[in-house]
Amino acid sequence: MEQPRVGTDIQFAICGSAGDGTIAAGDIMKRAAALMGFKVIAFDIYPPEIRGFGKCISRIRISDAQTYSLKRHSDVLISLNDAHAIPHVGEVRDFGAVLFEDNSIAELPEGGHISAHIRAAQVPYGFGIREISEKATGLARSRNIAALGYAAGLFNMPPGIFHQIIAEKFAKKPRAVTEDNTRAFDAGVEAAARVFKLDDVSVGRPLSAASGADAVMMTGNGAIARGFLEAGIQAYFGYPITPASSIMERMAAALPREGGRFLQTEDEISAIAATLGAGYAGARAATATSGPGLALMTEMMGLGVMAEVPFVVAVSQRGGPSTGLPTKTEQSDLNLAVYGGSGDAQRIVLAPTNVEGCYRCAGMAFEIAETYQTPVVLLVDLYLSNRFETVIPPRKNIFAPKPRKTPKMGKGEEYQRFRLTESGVSPRSIPGEAGLTHTVTGLEHDEIGHPSDRLHNEMNAKRHHKLLPATHFPGLTTQKRFGDSGKVDVGLLGWGSTFGEILETLYTAQGQDIRVAVMKVVMLSPLPVDEIAAFMDDCTHVLVPELNFEGQFANMISGATGRPVTRLTQTTGAPMLVDDILAELHRLIDSPAPPPTSSHRTAEGVRA
Amino acid sequence: MNEHVNPVYLEDKLDEIRADGHLSYRSKSLPTWCPGCGYFSMQEGLTIALNRLGIAKENAVVVSGIGCASRFPFFVDTYGFHTLHGRTMPVATGIKIANDALSVVAIGGDGDAFAIGGGHIPHAARRNVDITYMVFDNGIYGLTKGQTSPTTAQGFKSKTTPYENLDMPLHPLMMLLSYRASWIGQAYAGRPHHLAEMMTQAIAHKGFSYLHILSPCVTFDKTDRTYGKLNMQVHDLSEDHDTSDLIAAMQQASAAEIPALGVYYVEDRPTLSEEMDEISRRARNAPPIAE
Ligand SMILES: Cc1ncc(C[n+]2csc(CCOP(=O)(O)OP(=O)(O)O)c2C)c(N)n1
Ligand code: SF4
Ligand SMILES: [Mg+2]
Repeated sequence: MEQPRVGTDIQFAICGSAGDGTIAAGDIMKRAAALMGFKVIAFDIYPPEIRGFGKCISRIRISDAQTYSLKRHSDVLISLNDAHAIPHVGEVRDFGAVLFEDNSIAELPEGGHISAHIRAAQVPYGFGIREISEKATGLARSRNIAALGYAAGLFNMPPGIFHQIIAEKFAKKPRAVTEDNTRAFDAGVEAAARVFKLDDVSVGRPLSAASGADAVMMTGNGAIARGFLEAGIQAYFGYPITPASSIMERMAAALPREGGRFLQTEDEISAIAATLGAGYAGARAATATSGPGLALMTEMMGLGVMAEVPFVVAVSQRGGPSTGLPTKTEQSDLNLAVYGGSGDAQRIVLAPTNVEGCYRCAGMAFEIAETYQTPVVLLVDLYLSNRFETVIPPRKNIFAPKPRKTPKMGKGEEYQRFRLTESGVSPRSIPGEAGLTHTVTGLEHDEIGHPSDRLHNEMNAKRHHKLLPATHFPGLTTQKRFGDSGKVDVGLLGWGSTFGEILETLYTAQGQDIRVAVMKVVMLSPLPVDEIAAFMDDCTHVLVPELNFEGQFANMISGATGRPVTRLTQTTGAPMLVDDILAELHRLIDSPAPPPTSSHRTAEGVRA
Repeated sequence: MNEHVNPVYLEDKLDEIRADGHLSYRSKSLPTWCPGCGYFSMQEGLTIALNRLGIAKENAVVVSGIGCASRFPFFVDTYGFHTLHGRTMPVATGIKIANDALSVVAIGGDGDAFAIGGGHIPHAARRNVDITYMVFDNGIYGLTKGQTSPTTAQGFKSKTTPYENLDMPLHPLMMLLSYRASWIGQAYAGRPHHLAEMMTQAIAHKGFSYLHILSPCVTFDKTDRTYGKLNMQVHDLSEDHDTSDLIAAMQQASAAEIPALGVYYVEDRPTLSEEMDEISRRARNAPPIAE
């Protein structure tokens, strides 16, 4: 179990049926906490068949110091539907609270009531949720808000902030909706005032100085859309697919208002083809998809690399292969994102590890693509796409595009679109610029751009070498080490959403007298090999936890550095548990050191 | 007749051609097609059309797929994108959406268009993206050395149909008419002046224009779509054909085995860019949609 933290670190789980307003209650809770100035991480799980009566859970972790993942054990469970909530009673920690309806309207079979499942060490709070709701509004429909009010009252959260969020949430509905919900909320608070409170579970006041008003609650996908918009995206083309669709839907709503253009294409091939066309013509253009769509896009990705066209592809992974597990998270499209396509087609792949990272990487992706004249893949997964975190965006837009420089030609000089320069980056003109006409092609070409295999080796080198400086792109964290400095027993290498659990593992392990360090790798192509190798030099064991079966990142790391690593992989559709990573860490410490291997190859040329 | 006819001197004719200006749209690269290939007509036709319409070189983008026909962008001095097999439509759409000021001309063969790229054409047509699509139909895969295509005639023998092609060929004009492309015409590589005129009209049209060009592959088709046969069969659309009548256009398109040359259908409706601008206008006037 995680170490208790000083200050506030409390996780709510709200569980009910699809019709119970579970997600809505969670939404109000997380927005209120963010407005209070807390850091929030939240993740909702709802059934694929939205209209059915499937189970919904909203988990919300509220803390004053930044956290990086959800906790395995919630501090509070609010049940809006016992049948769904009973299996989750076990996730509430000792001395944690379980809030439930204690006035059942129907006869229940033995064991059908949630109270029968609450452990002695847990604190039960049974109350008349339906009754409170009906008394306040005449309807049972506001049970979710009444329960929320009860929780807010129980844990001393200021009602005024909830009133504000409720008013915002229902601003578009008739005023009576806001009034009813506010009354239901207040009735809940009122009911909680009369009960015994265990001071072990309280929210308290945020320690951080950050003003809640500056904090924005975003999902990973929302952050990507926001980053795109702040970077001045001009064209978006897409084809719907879970879990990337919400990026597309955001662009559909926001882009036309900004004077940009949005098109739902006939498939992913056309989505990326149009994105590439717009990028070629000088626009900041992007698309987003998931694994199956990315599989269709790989041929165009190769054309983007060959014709040196800047554009951005966001990819939110789900379980695979094939149609796979559309609503479950996985990190198994790494190989596809990095290598997918024919030939040696290196592109830039960025994998942010949290919501703020999604925002920053999306904001910078176009500039990176334009700098190196190449496609940039933004690789996330369902867990990161859909989870909420508080982000404090800078007051001033730092991603706005800088004016384009048209290549200057000397007198009588022939324009060479693919001139072999020292950096590998050639002067790029775009249609409309006079005196610089040229044709680009997916065929291998000479410096002018004419089909020719004469310079294949040189052009291959150019396309790879020009990307290497990207690992030190100004203002972008491409890798970062945390934890103990110097030699360590175990070093954990992580990427993408799993890094949150890796970081939490580090903080837990540090309390256990183990020398441990972690490194997050954000740029997966080209890999910051030197930094990774230096980190591995310090580690007796290197552990690579990731959500796929084959250990795709581990393979990439050991391929690039020539060293053994230990794989920790999982494909359950759920994020990795901190406890599982911790257990593997202990197993490694207790096992003998791996045999020494040859020292690492400084990568001058091609990197993974 | 004893009317006096001025002799035409080659020098004068060349001066006239040079003065016309269309040659400046040619690139320094000479076409790589087989001698006698119908595709030579496209270089002459497109440079004449761009010149007549006064489109500056830097404002023209020629987008092609993969195939013999698709080699074309290298032979003109405009911006060009030789893309992937079958993907001219979405790439051209992206270019046009990024910059309305560009004249975007897409070029491809029958396989590029109707086999691998067949799924994209209805969408480009229905959206009325303001580009011109010129499909050079030789009824064969030229670049890959003579396999059967979706427009190959029944009974044709090729390397991939050594026992005869039994598949019914597609009817591109009927397809484009039912997709409601807003300009549809047909030309023939063996009639270069008419082709140049049709290309000019197609590019001048506001909206999605589709020009189908019958073009012999002299290397891999010695029996079916030859100059000899086509010269006998091609004919002009009757002058009283009403180009605003979709059903009449379909009747004309299905009237003969080799449909007539000319303009079948013209329609004035908003282009994709115009629709997008309208959406932008509405979006700006509407309250923001919450995340
Ligand atoms: C994805 C892909 N599949 C197959 C090919 C091979 N290929 C190149 S051109 C072509 C057919 C060309 O026929 P058509 O489009 O009619 O053009 P033509 O050469 O007749 O002008 C094929 C199959 C390719 N380049 N890419
Ligand atoms: S193979 Fe046929 S289509 Fe290709 S260039 Fe030669 S004649 Fe023309
Ligand atoms: Mg052909």
